[in-house]
Amino acid sequence: MWALEAAFPSVRRDLPVVPRAPAWILGGAVAGGVALTTTGHLAVADFRAVVGAVLHGALLTAALGAAAGAAGGRWTATTPAVVTIVMVALGTAASRFDSRGSLLYLVVALWLAGLGARGRLAPLGVHAVSGRAMLVGGLAGAALGGHVLLSAAFTLGYRLRSDGLGPWLLALAYDAGVNVPAAELFVRGVVFDRLQRQVSLATGAVVATILYLVRFLPDPRLPATVEVLAGATLYLTLLSLVNSWLFWWSGSLWPGLVSALVFFAAYRLLGT
Amino acid sequence: MPGSCALLALTLVGLGALTSVVDPAAASLLRHVLVLPVLAIALRFGPVEGSLAAGIAVLAQAPRLLSQLEKGGMTVAAADEAITYVSLLGLAPLVGALAAAARRQRARYDTLLAVQRLVAEERSLPEMLDRLRALLAERCEAAALVLVVRDGEGLTLAGADRLVPGSVVARALDSGNAIFVSDTGTEPRPRRVLAVPLLSRGEVIGILGLERIGELGGSERASLIDLGTYLGLALENARLAAAHRRFSVELAEKVAAATRRLADLDRAKSTFVATVSHELRTPLTALLGFSELLATRPLPPTEVARLASIVHRETERMARIVDDLLDLARIERGAALRVRPLSVALAPALATAVQVFGRGGDDQRVVVACPEDLVVRADPDALDRIVKNLVSNALKYSPAGSAVTLVAHRHAAGVEMAIADAGPGIAPDALAHIFEPYYRAAGAARAAPGLGLGLAVVKALVESQDGTITVESAPGHGTRVTVALPSVPADTPELVPLVS
Repeated sequence: MWALEAAFPSVRRDLPVVPRAPAWILGGAVAGGVALTTTGHLAVADFRAVVGAVLHGALLTAALGAAAGAAGGRWTATTPAVVTIVMVALGTAASRFDSRGSLLYLVVALWLAGLGARGRLAPLGVHAVSGRAMLVGGLAGAALGGHVLLSAAFTLGYRLRSDGLGPWLLALAYDAGVNVPAAELFVRGVVFDRLQRQVSLATGAVVATILYLVRFLPDPRLPATVEVLAGATLYLTLLSLVNSWLFWWSGSLWPGLVSALVFFAAYRLLGT
Repeated sequence: MPGSCALLALTLVGLGALTSVVDPAAASLLRHVLVLPVLAIALRFGPVEGSLAAGIAVLAQAPRLLSQLEKGGMTVAAADEAITYVSLLGLAPLVGALAAAARRQRARYDTLLAVQRLVAEERSLPEMLDRLRALLAERCEAAALVLVVRDGEGLTLAGADRLVPGSVVARALDSGNAIFVSDTGTEPRPRRVLAVPLLSRGEVIGILGLERIGELGGSERASLIDLGTYLGLALENARLAAAHRRFSVELAEKVAAATRRLADLDRAKSTFVATVSHELRTPLTALLGFSELLATRPLPPTEVARLASIVHRETERMARIVDDLLDLARIERGAALRVRPLSVALAPALATAVQVFGRGGDDQRVVVACPEDLVVRADPDALDRIVKNLVSNALKYSPAGSAVTLVAHRHAAGVEMAIADAGPGIAPDALAHIFEPYYRAAGAARAAPGLGLGLAVVKALVESQDGTITVESAPGHGTRVTVALPSVPADTPELVPLVS
């Protein structure tokens, strides 16, 4: 029994430490983007892409910093974070030149999977989990995603996308490569996990959900209509609550990752 | 959990089906019907399940509301419907939390009753703690639970076999404060730890240590701290009740023993009076008979002398009995016997003392071996009584034709006299008691008359002269009594002749 055996306090989770070099790179990218956009050398759309890449890079860097901090100095986050940022930047740049460049985002997913396989991401909840938990995650994402499709199709008049499977798969590559992992690793793996451990499940779920909304709602591609914003808020809130519960229930980030991926896969099926 | 899942699924399917088949006006009314199953689920299963049910209910209605918003914007009707859903989303966890709190309260009450029943049972502390631990682990949904209770100078543990200094439980025991660790950081899911002091009259008598995987909220921690106080009092009361029961049993045993002792004493007193009467009656009868003869009949001088000698002997016997009784009374009062140690030449003293046994006329012999120059420091009268008592005893239990030997010699810083007989010997269990007043070994009463005072008086007389007395005996091998008395320093000028 831990309470009888361990010297107190035996384990204290370190706060996330954002490595300095990646932070400079990200800051430099934003500053450079602003400067280039102001001087007319960079289109606004490209600047948005830079900001998006910086956002993903920042979330992943913070998550890696937290994982390294919890590992107690056995490894440092600087190199993995720089590599991640470079990969995200390459994916973003490639996708700006050609939509097929989004496939490069999958390299980020592979890189992160490699880190997970080496146990580097264990402090963020990247543990092996049962097939049943993965199935529950998939079903939860499918239920929410299915509801999005039905709701949008039957009530708001949205149709399924008509540009074929390729663009859908490319969008899915972006979600699987950076969009979902960055949000889940930071929001669930860092914020929710710490809060649920140090305070309570409810506090963790509420704060993580607010962060989730802050992360996804200010999306320039979302139509700024009341019904879409209300729907997005509803679905993102439910997705975040469900993913928090999945993390708490299974002790692993994987079911939440699957749930979010399935949900976004369904969401990406929507056309206009 | 399967039940709640089934209910949630049914709610979703039922409401979804209803929404899709009824017309918009009826569907709007349907939102009020949603309240019932959602609240039922919240009441039955708690806040998380209630929130999920509310979420599903809102999802079931969301397409209609979103469509309404798209067509007409945020109209009064749309706002009304949105408020209904927001209220439902707020109400479900609230009702669920209140229901869960009521259930927890009930569970606490049940736990306290169960604890009370358990500690009221008569058990040893370790057994009681084991049962308490099992009960509390189940009631508190603990992943691990330990009870540590101070037991005298040590600790009694239930649920563990050792307590590491510096651990949470050890810290709580030392400080007397509850300690909460929100997460041990050892598992994928949070493992909460709470160590609660068990208090009794302001003293920390132990610790309740609990680990749970999952939530351990503030109100539950507060109730566990209250439980610790209650448990401390209950354990203390159980301990006091057990002590009271033990005391009652011990008191009853002591009263019974005292009653038995009083009965024994009463019997001993009756026996003693009877024995003393009998012992005195024998010489008294002889005195009466022979003195009457001397007074009433003209007898030749030789016969008169013989009868007078018998009268003298019986008088001596009576005097010995009376002396023994008086000495014993003095010993029992705690007063020292009156002795006046002088330098006594041992050989003539022993010869004079055993002379009286040569007048009996039977075939027993007393063989004395003592160097002529042995001198002891003793009270002459006391020495005479010691020797006569021991030799008389030896003769009483010796078979006819056997000899009693009395051997004296110099030994260490004194003189040792050993009186040995060829009698039946003394059983080992009786050997320890032979110097106790009134004690008579089994069979001794039948073999020879007596009060059981002689050896007690002899021991007191020997010890009052700084001497020692020991007995060696075994059944069938006779008895040897050894008396050691201090010798006289070489420069002592006076030798007192023993006056017979």
